[in-house]
Amino acid sequence: MAFKEIELNMGPQHPSTHGVLRLKLAVDNEVVLGIEPVLGYLHRGMEKLWESLTYVQVVPLTDRLDYLASLSNNLGYVLTVERLAGIEIPRRAQYIRVVLAELQRLASHLAWAGFMANDIGAMSVLLYGFEAREEILDIFEEYCGARLTIHGIRIGGVIHDIDTGLVSRIRTVLTNIPKRLADIRTLLDENRIWKQRTVGVGRIAAAEAIDYGLTGPPLRACGVAWDMRKDIPYSSYGDFDFDVPLGRNGDVYDRYAVRLEEIGQSIRIVGQALDGLPEGPFMAKMPRVLKIAPGEAFHTIEAPKGVLGFTIRSNGTDKPERVKMKSPSFINLQSLEHMCKGNLFSDVVGILGSLDIVLGEIDK
Amino acid sequence: MTPFVADLLIPVGKIIAVILYPMIMVMVMIWLERRVVALMQGRLGPNRVGFQGVLQPVADAAKLFFKEDIIPRQADKRLFNISPILVMFSSLLAFCFIPLGEPLRVGTYTLTLWIADSPVGLLIVLGLSAISVFGVIFGGWASNSKYPLMGALRSVVQVLSYEIPAGLTVLTVAFAARSMDLVEIVRRQESSGIWYGFLMPVSFVVFWISAVAETNRAPFDLPEAESELVAGYHTEYSGMKFAYFYMAEYAHMVLASSLVVLLFFGGWLPPFQGVKALAFLHAVPGFVWYLIKIMFFLYLYVWIRATFPRYRFDSLIRLVWKWLIPLALANFLAVALVRFLR
Amino acid sequence: MSGLRRFLRSFFLVDILRGLAVTLRLYFSRKVTVQYPEEVKEPARRFRGLPRLYRDGNGEPLCIACKLCQKACGTNCFDIEGKREAGAKLMRPVKFDWRLDRCSFCGFCVEVCPTSAIRFSPEFRMTGVGREPLLFHLDEMYLAGDELQERLCGGCRRAR
Repeated sequence: MAFKEIELNMGPQHPSTHGVLRLKLAVDNEVVLGIEPVLGYLHRGMEKLWESLTYVQVVPLTDRLDYLASLSNNLGYVLTVERLAGIEIPRRAQYIRVVLAELQRLASHLAWAGFMANDIGAMSVLLYGFEAREEILDIFEEYCGARLTIHGIRIGGVIHDIDTGLVSRIRTVLTNIPKRLADIRTLLDENRIWKQRTVGVGRIAAAEAIDYGLTGPPLRACGVAWDMRKDIPYSSYGDFDFDVPLGRNGDVYDRYAVRLEEIGQSIRIVGQALDGLPEGPFMAKMPRVLKIAPGEAFHTIEAPKGVLGFTIRSNGTDKPERVKMKSPSFINLQSLEHMCKGNLFSDVVGILGSLDIVLGEIDK
Repeated sequence: MTPFVADLLIPVGKIIAVILYPMIMVMVMIWLERRVVALMQGRLGPNRVGFQGVLQPVADAAKLFFKEDIIPRQADKRLFNISPILVMFSSLLAFCFIPLGEPLRVGTYTLTLWIADSPVGLLIVLGLSAISVFGVIFGGWASNSKYPLMGALRSVVQVLSYEIPAGLTVLTVAFAARSMDLVEIVRRQESSGIWYGFLMPVSFVVFWISAVAETNRAPFDLPEAESELVAGYHTEYSGMKFAYFYMAEYAHMVLASSLVVLLFFGGWLPPFQGVKALAFLHAVPGFVWYLIKIMFFLYLYVWIRATFPRYRFDSLIRLVWKWLIPLALANFLAVALVRFLR
Repeated sequence: MSGLRRFLRSFFLVDILRGLAVTLRLYFSRKVTVQYPEEVKEPARRFRGLPRLYRDGNGEPLCIACKLCQKACGTNCFDIEGKREAGAKLMRPVKFDWRLDRCSFCGFCVEVCPTSAIRFSPEFRMTGVGREPLLFHLDEMYLAGDELQERLCGGCRRAR
């Protein structure tokens, strides 16, 4: 029987595309035959803009890439500059960076959990996730004054020191979050509707995932144990003891489960970092004007969305010659079509949610 | 009692009451839904318009009233205009057959708290509420757009499929009460001493699930899935027409709750009727008990919506055809067997 | 878990009921909503609100028109001109134009200022009607509170 292929447009304005993403779907009644993402609605010319700013002035703009996890973007860029310039970071600064980055991972995953559950219909989880996230954002506000575009990690270290008051407040937040997480898990983990929507949906095999360049939780959900924090440790991550949760089937449920487990692991890491915070300066000795000799450096970190990488080429002045950013969401989005083929139209929303993309990162 | 009053004023009064009662319940539902969902999510919900936000439905209605009525250029105008009316019409018409209590004696006149008491009232109510499907399919088709069309198709299949377990479970109640007259069913529950919801819990649960699916409410609200189809079959509607769809959905919910209460939870009967110590409960008029029970089920509707994700379409259909219908059939056979053996 | 137990859990809707219990418990929990504008959540001490110029304890302006903030700013918010009066020890600004609509709140100007003249205030109500109110001249950089709100948007109908 001949089918009639309809082209459906999940337009740039849609309640479930996480940002301004346009998806052109070819649908046969309900079954998805193909997807073509159309990007660029949020393009701001970041990489070109950075060529006209000094290395230090670029850091606040990296906040605006993955705006749900801005400290991770800061960290990625700053580590690349430090590798290029050969700057040594004091250990206390490294530990504070770990605390900030892992708190940011918590905040990002909580926001993701809320949005994904909301797309699939469980509206309350959105509010629960965000209520937990608010406490983390309050910590950031107390630390450096901003909640979303945080700009707390600078070239050479971090902007402020963490005093004992802030440490105790962070520990309080770390005890509150597992309670919220338990609520979310009770609502979703064993729920038959949730399992019917997510188990076996959007499956991708490990070999194909590696071919597509998938990184981050979607890759770990396929069973591939690749986490930059463990495999190529940066910023003293090697000092900490944590597990990397792995999935088995590479479907939406496994991606969801992996991220929830990562929340637990992040809490562990922050606890260990706060316990073992070394004495010392929180900022390296930096020249007044940072000029870097010609060269090129590349560095990657494990951002909450995946592997985030920066390549910077310097030319001896205080402005970079070229900055190239490899954003995890952009690469992960490639595999969307592979995951969605053959699934129903309603699943596209769930699969897109499980990939956890942020358009700021994709479009730069 | 002059013929003028008895034959004209009272029926007209009842008609007005039958139109007003669901409308007032709809207003209450709008407020209840937003407040309860908000409170369950850890926020407060509307609490500025009027005391605790009770005037919020008025604000909503006023806003929708003043919105521009947009009809897409290529839309089929006649069908586009008639579909909200059809959906509203079917639920309001079914209310004519819903009794609200035992007849009252006012002087020499017996005032019946219903417009019509048919010996097959149950069947008629179910049939009338199914007419709303036409409104949905007309709305989706006439909008001349893909999203509403997909929403309407999904809704039609869903409603038609879930009519079957609803009908089968309702039959068990008719078996137990030996009648399809709604007033008779409540009187039977009074005389037998146990409400059918406790006598046949499987029937109740299956009927409740079907009722939630029939009214397109979460977790079966795929036809109007906000995050997938934007707004399903009423995407293209704006202003008063959208208000009609909106109100008709709530009126449908009130209808379904009324049916559940009448069939399974004793309608206007106070609880614990057999217990002499609690005889003071009889002092409260039946209508009040009826309202309390309906409010509980409306609260249950909202509670379920705030908690669960949405069923995907094929899971929904698989649920009804593979689980609910065989379960309803088995339940029906069991009840029939018990009745036969009695 | 044995097959029978799993079937019973599924038949009796255990997961459904547990989910309902969670939302019911949270229905009765304390809500964290802050009823703005009657209640206002005070920002943290380091909160990056609206940058403005400050005076010292004697009422003397702190800004010495060194233009370090202008150099540090990545988005060209500043346009400063300074002049030293004959016989005065310090330069003073004669023109200090600052654009709110370009500020990215990065804090570089605050960090480089040698006299802590420009600092973040705790002001977070920064709506202006049009572009004109968002361009601050020298005197307006010292405004705060209600005067600032008057200038930006005619003042909020509900006072803080």
